[in-house]
Amino acid sequence: MTITRRQALAAGIAAGGLAAGIRPGLAQANEIVIAGSIPLTGVFAFAGIGINDGIADYVKLINEAGGVSGRKVRYVYEDTAYKVDQSVAVFNKLTGSNAANFYYSDSTGFAKTINPELNRKGSMIMAGASFATELNDAKAYPNQFIAGPDYSDMISVLLTYIAKTQPGAKIALVNSDTEFGRDPIATTEAMAKKLGLSIAEKIVTPPTSVDVSTEVLKLRRANPDYTIFHGYVLAPLPEFMTQAKQLGLKTKFMGTFWSMDNSLWAKVGEAANGFMGVMPYRYYFDEDAKAPMLAKIRQMRPEYVSTAYMQGFLTAMLFCEAGKRCLDAKQEMTATNLKAALNSIKDFDTGGLIGAPITITGNSIPVGRVYQYDAARKVMVGQGDWINVSKPS
Amino acid sequence: MRIGALKDSYGADQALFDTAVQRLWLALGAVALLAFPFAANDYWLYLACLVGIHIVSTTGLNILTGYTGLVSLGQAAFMGVGAYVVALAETKLGTPFLLNLLAAGLVTAMVGMVVGVPSLRVKGLYLAIATIAASFILHFVFQNWTTVTGGTRGLSIPPAQLFGLELARPFALYWVITPLTCIMVLAAANLFRTRIGRAFIAIRDRDISAEVLGIPLLRYKLMSFGLSSFYAGVAGGLWAYFFRVVTPESFPFVYSIFFLAAVIVGGMGTILGGILGAVFMTLVPEALKLVVGLLSPWMPNAVALLSPVRTIVFGALIIGFLILEPHGLAEIWRRIRRFFHLWPFKT
Repeated sequence: MTITRRQALAAGIAAGGLAAGIRPGLAQANEIVIAGSIPLTGVFAFAGIGINDGIADYVKLINEAGGVSGRKVRYVYEDTAYKVDQSVAVFNKLTGSNAANFYYSDSTGFAKTINPELNRKGSMIMAGASFATELNDAKAYPNQFIAGPDYSDMISVLLTYIAKTQPGAKIALVNSDTEFGRDPIATTEAMAKKLGLSIAEKIVTPPTSVDVSTEVLKLRRANPDYTIFHGYVLAPLPEFMTQAKQLGLKTKFMGTFWSMDNSLWAKVGEAANGFMGVMPYRYYFDEDAKAPMLAKIRQMRPEYVSTAYMQGFLTAMLFCEAGKRCLDAKQEMTATNLKAALNSIKDFDTGGLIGAPITITGNSIPVGRVYQYDAARKVMVGQGDWINVSKPS
Repeated sequence: MRIGALKDSYGADQALFDTAVQRLWLALGAVALLAFPFAANDYWLYLACLVGIHIVSTTGLNILTGYTGLVSLGQAAFMGVGAYVVALAETKLGTPFLLNLLAAGLVTAMVGMVVGVPSLRVKGLYLAIATIAASFILHFVFQNWTTVTGGTRGLSIPPAQLFGLELARPFALYWVITPLTCIMVLAAANLFRTRIGRAFIAIRDRDISAEVLGIPLLRYKLMSFGLSSFYAGVAGGLWAYFFRVVTPESFPFVYSIFFLAAVIVGGMGTILGGILGAVFMTLVPEALKLVVGLLSPWMPNAVALLSPVRTIVFGALIIGFLILEPHGLAEIWRRIRRFFHLWPFKT
């Protein structure tokens, strides 16, 4: 067989295109594409790896079950190192070479930055690792959603639990001095007032602070019944808890989603005992209710998977559910139709990932449950029932 | 092959581009830059714009650190000042795009000159610490002057408008960022043919001798800080129009290290070094991603498995360049040029 000069040129261009990340012909009309800016390296890698596994596993499961309304789902992703400029580069690259229907974003900064472009494209909807209250606004972010409660909702779950368990309790707020940390402060104060709880102290710390002795002394003076941390992953929570115990403080410590991974607290050991917090999803090891999806996850992954994995898994599930509803209604998969399909989700069973049926009316799923760490058993244990904090429309 | 370059005037001797071959390559480069947007997709256009912004900022830092010998780790914070100025001018005043960029440069230059005051008393590591402190103060202001900066949530900016055209996408912004980058790089190159530029170099080589020669140190050091910050301010302004959201977390301290690394890797004290350094620091991580992506057909989880390795390779490349070529990428470029001067007669 002889190769003509034109064929050689075409082959060269195709090879060059491949090398440049342009993959013509990869996007097929009969497939669904989930693309993602995933933080596989950098400060958020601890979550990114779990998120990636969660999305990939759900895609594998749904494809094994025949896909979404007969269409195979393809997941494409790249590392962003949790940097907005790299996330935007990945977005441009992946959406330029794949007809993406859904996009996973790695941060609040990226979600805000890409919003105008997402709206301009009008071809995909996006969810991601951010639970920022700001994103829970369907008017400003019409093509985005949060696969769980926003940070203000998470605090509302905690305050509702506190108001029920100890009416009139005194609360201290400890927030990191970041956009993430400061996010729910204003709504927390309003919610506490509404529930008859008093805010005894507000502490804002640098996100990387190690020496927290002065802050612990402030806590001692305020003597709160509950101390709610937000805007951290782990440090400096163990330091706070250890020093507070040494000073004989009776306050109960609480956190929000990104501080709630079981493996993090298992490494802390005895000092972690009694730490409480809000979880939008069930833990890998939860067996106290019918949860077939958790059983499937345990079957696929015999070792513990993180809370971030659950977040990625559920996000992929909601993407696929929105796609399914859109296709079943014989609608074109545009951002508007996909979002409308997502918002048609009512009393939806997540297979036990969330302990209550979910309804998505706006941009979030305002449901959560309080868990408490048991250092002896090395597991988070559910406290009370799932709490829905959706606002009346 | 080039036998020699005949110069028969001082003007010719000082020319930025002194040979016909050089001018030919420049013309070809300009044509390539003009043709690029029509051949590239959004991803490459995005990267080209980002490289342009980084080149402006790196060139600014090169003026200060590479040419004047004053180490600064505040470049990202200065960019932040420029970005906030643009965001405020665009949202509150609605002034024209280019005027906003100029204002960003000027305001940042003033801030830079204030930050540069300690440079008369301290230099080297001490000055680096002083600039770090200044950058923390600026970040505190970005975060806590809520009424102006929007606090931790920051400010959102509408797309830039130029002659009624909306500059929202990389394709449109490319036509602004690239010419501005070229103008600013040319201006920087030209600076070092003037008395001011030579004064900067004299201060870098030995500040006491420079003072003995009659160069007022305070004036020139502050001027260097001002010019460098002007570049950072314009780069920050372009950044703001490019990403259209400015928050205190947009310009982290590590971003300053990025620019210092770009100056060092590219080659301190050379204009070409600033360009090559910015290109290297921006594009090499992307190129490594491309390599990892190419392995995907044989290794399904290549991206997840090799991403940490990619970071290590990038770090190792920087260390490798520093060890093997301490004068930076600009020196490698010069060696390649010298090779072709006598090629094919001497290889």
